[in-house]
Amino acid sequence: MKITINGMEITAHAGITILQAAEQAEIYIPTLCHVRGRDADQACGLCVVEVEGNETPVRSCDTKIQEGMHIRTDSEVLKGLRNERLAILAETHFGDCKAPCNLTCPGQINVQGYIAHVAKGQYEEGLRLVMERNPFPFSVGRVCPRFCETKCRRMLVEEPIAINHLKRFLADWCMANKIDLRIPKESNTGKKVAVIGGGPSGLTGAYFLARKGHNVTVYEAAPQLGGMLRYGFPEFKIPKAVLDYEINTLLQLGITVQTGRKWGVDYTLQDLKDSGFDAILIAIGNPLDKPLAIPGGDLTGVMGASGFLKKFTTGEDVDYGKQAVVLGGNNVAVETARALVRSGVDEVTIIVPRPKEEMPAHERNVADAEREGVKIMDMASPVAITAPDSGLDIELIRMELGEPDKRGKRNPVEIPDSNMHLQIDTVVYSMGKMAAKDGFTGGTLEESLELTPAGNIKADPRTFLTNLDGVYAAGDVTSGPRSVIQAVVGARRSAENIHAQIMGVEKEAGEGRFNFSRGKSFKNVVPETFTGVSSAPRGKMAERQPESLIRDFEEVKLGFDEEAARKEAERCLSCGCTAFDRCDLKRLSIANDINLNKTGMGTKPLYEKDTSHPAITVDLNKCIFCQRCMNSCEYEALDLSSAGFDEKNRAVGITLKFNEKCVSCGKCVDNCSTGALNKKEQIVPMVNEVIERVRTTCPYCGTGCQLDLKVKGNTLMEVTADPELLPNYGDLCVKGRFGHAFLSHPDRLTTPQVRRQKGGVLEPVSWNEALDFVAENFRSILADKGPDAFAGLSSARCTTEENYVFQKFFRQRIGTNNVDHCARY
Amino acid sequence: MTGLVTVLGSGAMSNDIAGIAGIDAMLVIGSNTTETHPVIGLRMKQAVQNHGTKIIVADPRRINLTDQACLWLSQKPGTDGALINAMCHVIIRDNLVDQEYVGERTENFEACEDAVADCTPEWAEKITGVPAADIEEAAKIYAKAERAAIFYTMGITQHTSGTDNVKSLANLALMTGNLGKSSAGLNPLRGQNNVQGASDMACAPTVFPGYQRVDNDTVRMRFEELWGCNLSGKPGLTATEMSRAMIDGSIEAMWVMGENPVMSDPNMCHAREAFSKVKFLVVQDIFLTETAEIADVVLPAAAYAEKEGTFTNTERRVQRVRQALLPPKDACNDLVIIQAVSERMNSDKKTTFPSDFQPGSARMEVAEAEEIFNEIAGAWPAIAGINYKRLEEGGIQWPCPDEDHPGTPVLFENGFPRGLASFTPITWRDAEELPDIEYPFVLTTGRVLYQYHTGTMTRRSQVIESADRGPIIEINPDDASRLQIKDGDRVNVASRRGTISLPALVTDRINPGITFIPFHYKEAAANLLTNDACDPECKIPEAKVCAVKVEKAI
Repeated sequence: MKITINGMEITAHAGITILQAAEQAEIYIPTLCHVRGRDADQACGLCVVEVEGNETPVRSCDTKIQEGMHIRTDSEVLKGLRNERLAILAETHFGDCKAPCNLTCPGQINVQGYIAHVAKGQYEEGLRLVMERNPFPFSVGRVCPRFCETKCRRMLVEEPIAINHLKRFLADWCMANKIDLRIPKESNTGKKVAVIGGGPSGLTGAYFLARKGHNVTVYEAAPQLGGMLRYGFPEFKIPKAVLDYEINTLLQLGITVQTGRKWGVDYTLQDLKDSGFDAILIAIGNPLDKPLAIPGGDLTGVMGASGFLKKFTTGEDVDYGKQAVVLGGNNVAVETARALVRSGVDEVTIIVPRPKEEMPAHERNVADAEREGVKIMDMASPVAITAPDSGLDIELIRMELGEPDKRGKRNPVEIPDSNMHLQIDTVVYSMGKMAAKDGFTGGTLEESLELTPAGNIKADPRTFLTNLDGVYAAGDVTSGPRSVIQAVVGARRSAENIHAQIMGVEKEAGEGRFNFSRGKSFKNVVPETFTGVSSAPRGKMAERQPESLIRDFEEVKLGFDEEAARKEAERCLSCGCTAFDRCDLKRLSIANDINLNKTGMGTKPLYEKDTSHPAITVDLNKCIFCQRCMNSCEYEALDLSSAGFDEKNRAVGITLKFNEKCVSCGKCVDNCSTGALNKKEQIVPMVNEVIERVRTTCPYCGTGCQLDLKVKGNTLMEVTADPELLPNYGDLCVKGRFGHAFLSHPDRLTTPQVRRQKGGVLEPVSWNEALDFVAENFRSILADKGPDAFAGLSSARCTTEENYVFQKFFRQRIGTNNVDHCARY
Repeated sequence: MTGLVTVLGSGAMSNDIAGIAGIDAMLVIGSNTTETHPVIGLRMKQAVQNHGTKIIVADPRRINLTDQACLWLSQKPGTDGALINAMCHVIIRDNLVDQEYVGERTENFEACEDAVADCTPEWAEKITGVPAADIEEAAKIYAKAERAAIFYTMGITQHTSGTDNVKSLANLALMTGNLGKSSAGLNPLRGQNNVQGASDMACAPTVFPGYQRVDNDTVRMRFEELWGCNLSGKPGLTATEMSRAMIDGSIEAMWVMGENPVMSDPNMCHAREAFSKVKFLVVQDIFLTETAEIADVVLPAAAYAEKEGTFTNTERRVQRVRQALLPPKDACNDLVIIQAVSERMNSDKKTTFPSDFQPGSARMEVAEAEEIFNEIAGAWPAIAGINYKRLEEGGIQWPCPDEDHPGTPVLFENGFPRGLASFTPITWRDAEELPDIEYPFVLTTGRVLYQYHTGTMTRRSQVIESADRGPIIEINPDDASRLQIKDGDRVNVASRRGTISLPALVTDRINPGITFIPFHYKEAAANLLTNDACDPECKIPEAKVCAVKVEKAI
C-alpha cells in the first residue's frame, strides 16, 4: 500500500495504523499513551494528524492506512491541538522536575543526587557526582555561602538539610579512606591550553579542560597553587593539608604546573601564543585590595586584608600589638578579625558603617567571630588615621540610616559632630578587591585588554572571550570578588566554551528553564505537601570550644561522622523527580514550547505516595493516566482505574494497585510517561550530567537479554532494555532490571589476600606479592607432583574469552585436562 | 550435554527463542521456566495466547507455567525417564512415529523400540504417580503437533540418570521428526549467562574448545600446533571427581575462577572438606564467597559490567559484554589475572615483569578481549565467521562458519554432525537415594524468581532481597497437617548428610511426600542435604532428588 506522509511516499502493509506506518518510515509522531500492540482506552490525543479529505484531524494510533492516503503530521493546526492537550495535562501534574536546591545552586550541582548517595552509603559515587561540576568539594564544603540551603523545602517541616556539611563529609570521607576517585578523562586531543592563575577559577578551568583531553599548563605567580583558597582562607577555615590533597586530586588528571611565574613579568600573552597554545584562560581572580581612601591609609601598621591574610596563612611572624581594628563588613573582614585573634591581639574590633545585621558577611561567620571574642562596632565609619608616638590613632564618625532611596534602601549617613578616636596598634582594611590597579602591563596584548569600569577584565558573558582572539577570562577577574562556587561555575563554563571553540564543535546544550514545581517559593507550597513527614531536627556539626581554638590555627568545625551524615541525608525530602531523564510529558512540553507559567501546573497533592511495592514507588500526583504502565505489563499485574473524568477529560480519583501476578519486572516503570512510577533504588535524579548508555548482556540466566546500562561517571544509575532488540525486546525480569546493586556493594573484594599457612588468616597483600605467591606454589607443585596434581574450575559467569584463556592455561601451561565448570551438563 | 553430544553430535539448544512463538505443542519438563528463565517463560505464555500453543508441563511441582498448560504431569522426582519412555511407547503403539524422518535421518530406532516395548502408561503410572491416561494424552498432543518442542533444565539433568534422561528426550524428539525444523527441537535452557560459552570453550575435561576430543590425535595435533606445545591426551577429572581427588591428595593445586562450589555443590560438607583439604587453593571472585573464605589466595576480580568480552546465550547466540564501569580499585578482570599468573610461572623471566602490577585504574581495551576471540575463531570452525565488528550489529548464533553466514537459528536442518542421529535404548532406573522409614520425604531443589544461584549477587541487591520471601521448604498441606506444621512454622529438615532449619511454606503446589527447597540461601543451604551421587557418564551429581525427614522445630 502506498501512502504519503509529509510529502514523502511510503510503502506499508495494509492493516496497520498511520502511527505504525510513520514509525516504520522513521517519521516521528508525538504520543504519550501508545504502547505497541495495545491501545489506551483513554487516548492522550497527541498523535493527531491531518488526512487529506478529512475535515478534522484524526488520531494516528487508531486510524488504519488506506491506499493513496495523504497525511500531514506537523502543521500549525496540529501543533495547536497538541499544545492545548499538553497544557491541559500539565495543569494537574503536581511535582518538581528539579529540586529547589539544584535550581538554586550556582554550580547547578546535583544536590539531591549526592545527598541520596550519602543516604545509601555510596560516598565515592557521591563525591564523583559533586566533582562532575565542582572540583573543589573540600574547600567549597567548608566555605560555601550555601545558596541551596536557603531554598531547602525541609524548612517547611522544620529546618533545611545541612547540605554543605554533607558535601564536606563526602570529601573528607574519601580522603580519610584514601579513595582514588579515578576521574574519567577523554583521550588526548593534541590541543594546548594555558591557564593564568592557579586559584579556584584557574584550577577549575584546568580540571574541566584536562577532562576533555586537552594538554593544560597552569601558570601561578605564587610559590604554591590554590590562590585565595591557600592565601586568603586561614587554616582554621581550610586546612592546608586538605587543600593540598584536593589540588593533588585535580592534578592527577595530568595538568602541567608552573609556579612562581608571574604574568607580565616572567612571560606575556604573546609568549604563550608563540609557544603554541590554542587558547589562554586568564583566571587570576582579584588579588589586590582596593585602597583605603582616607588620610593615613598608607601608614605603617595599616594594611590591606589580602596582604595580611597572605602573611597569616604563610605563617609569617608579625607582632600586631594588643589592639586592632578591621575596617569593612565582608567575609574577608570577618576572617581577618578571627585571624588577628589567633595572632595574639587582645582586642579585635570590626568597624562597619551599617547595622550589624546588614553586614555583607554571612551571619554564621559573624557569629563564629563573636564567639571567639571579636567585637563589632556598627554604625561607624573611619575618617582618618594618624600615627602618634606609639601605635595608631583612628578617627571615626558615627553613622545613622538616612531616608530611603528610590528603591527603598536606607543608606547610612554621617551624624554631624559625632567624631571619636580609638587608640590601636593595627588597622586592617577590607574594602573590596580588584584584579589590577591600572590595567595590565607587560606587553602590547596585556595593555590592550579591555577592562570593565571596576577595573576587571571584560569578557563576553556567554563565550568568556575577551577582546583578544583566543584569550578567555573567567572567575573574579571578570566579576569582582564572589564566592568560590561562583568562580568555579564561571571557570567551568569558560572551559566548555574553550573546548567547543578549539575543537570546532557545538557547545553542549545549556540547562533548559522548563520546570514543573510544587511551589516556586515557600509560600506557594501548600502545607499538605509534606503531611506525614515526621520531624527530624537538623544535624549539628561538632565544633571545638572557642577557649581552645583561638589559641591555635586548627579547624574549628569538625565535620559530620558517617552516622550523622547518613542520618542527615535521610532527612532529604527528595523533591526532584527521578524520572527527570525519561519523562515524556516534560520532553513533549519542551518540544512544543509549553510555558507552564502561563498554562499552569498542579498546585496541590491529591494522592499519597505508595511505597508498598518492593521495587517500585508510586506517586499518582504525577500520573496523567496514559495507561502505558498497564498496557505494557505482560502479566496483567497492574490494576489501574479512575473514578471518572473531569470536564477536560482528565482522569480523577486514580487508583493503581499491583496485584498478586506482579513479578516485579519493572517494565511499567520504564514505560511510565512521567515520574508517577519510580524505581525504588534509583534515587539519584539524572539531571545535567552526561549519561552514557552501555549495551551489554545480562549476567543472570542463559536467556542473554540485552541490557542498557545507564552510567554516570563510574556509577550505574539504572538498567533498561531496548524494545527493538532481540532476544528480549525490552522485557527483563526482576533480576535483570533491579539486580545490579551488588556491583557497588561494600563487600566487593578490592585487595588480593594470602593465607601464608594453613589455619592462618587471610591477609591483604599487594598484587605482586599475591601473584608471586601463586606462581611459587604452582611451580613447586608442578615440579614435585606433575601436571595432573592441578585442577581448575572455571565459571559460567565469566566471559567466553576468560574461559578460553583459563582452560588454555591448564592445558598449555600446566599440561593437564583437569579443567571443568559447574554447569557443564 | 554429554547425552546430546552422543546422540546428535552437538550439545546445545537446537532451536531459538524467537521460534517459541510458532510452536504448536511443547513439553516443558524439569524446568520452572517462568522463574528460572522469566523472559523465555513469558514467550511461552505469549505463544499460548497468540498461537494457541499447547503446553504440557511435567514437573513434580505445580509451577506457575501450569496455569498456561493444557496438561500437568506431576511425576515423582527422579522418575522422568519412566515418564518419557512411556510417552515413546504410546507414540510407537499408536503409529504416531514420523517414519519418513526416522528412516532418512536416524539409526538404531529398533533398539529404542525394543527398550520401550514394556513401558506402558500403566507401568509408568506406578513409578511416576502420573495417571496413565494423562501420559497417553501427553504423548498424543506432542506427537500429533506439526511443530513440537521440548524444553528442559537441571530438573532433567541433575540426576544419577541425567544423561539417560536427555537421551530419552532425544528419542522422543527424533521419533516425531522434531529436530531440524523451526519452532521445534530439543532445548536445554541454560541456567547461567555463559554456560554455553564456557562449555563451548571446553572448560571440560574431555574436550578442547569446540567439543573436539582431547583423546583424538588429529584434533590434539591441531591444538598443539595452534598453542605451540605438547598437549595431554588423557581426559581429565570432572568437578565431582576433583573433590574426591582433593580429599585423597592426588590434586594439590586448585584454581577456582568465579565459582562457589562449597555452596553450590551437592553435599556441601563433602565439598567443604575437599576444598579445605587441598594443599593450595586459589580463588578469584568478586566477593569473599564461602569457597574464597577457605582459600590460600583470594584474587579480586571484575564483574560483568566491568569488562569486555562475550557471553553465549542459551540459543547459541554470541553477544557482546561491554565495560560500563571501572572495577573497584585493585580488582581486575580475569583475563589479565590469568595472563599475569601464567607469566610469573616462568621463574627465569621473573625479573622482567613490571613490579608495579596495578590493575583497575584504566578501562579494559576492547582489543584485549577481541584478540582472544579471534584466536578462538581460529580454533573452532563453528564461530569462524563471527568477529567483534559483526557483533556490534547484534548477536550471532553459531554455527557461523564464514563472515557471510548469517548464523544458525535452528540446528540440524540439513543433517546431524554425526551423520545420522542415533536412538538410544534407555532402561529406566531409580534415583540413588529413595525415601525410607527414617527419611520419608523426597527433597527436590531449584531456584526462585528473585534469587540467583548461591545468591552472591542477588542477595546483595536490596530490591531483590526485599521482594523475595527468603528460604522456605514447600510441603503439601496433607503432610503438614500430619506433622502438625502450620504455614510459616520453622522446621528442621535432615538428610543423611546434614540438617538445616527454615520456615515451612504449606502449599498444594507440591504433592504429598515431596518437598522443595530453593538452594540460594546460605542460612538454610539446601545443598547441605543433597546427594553427590553421580551420573555414571557425565558425573553430574543428583542435586534434584534425595531423601529427607521434616520435623517441626521446637
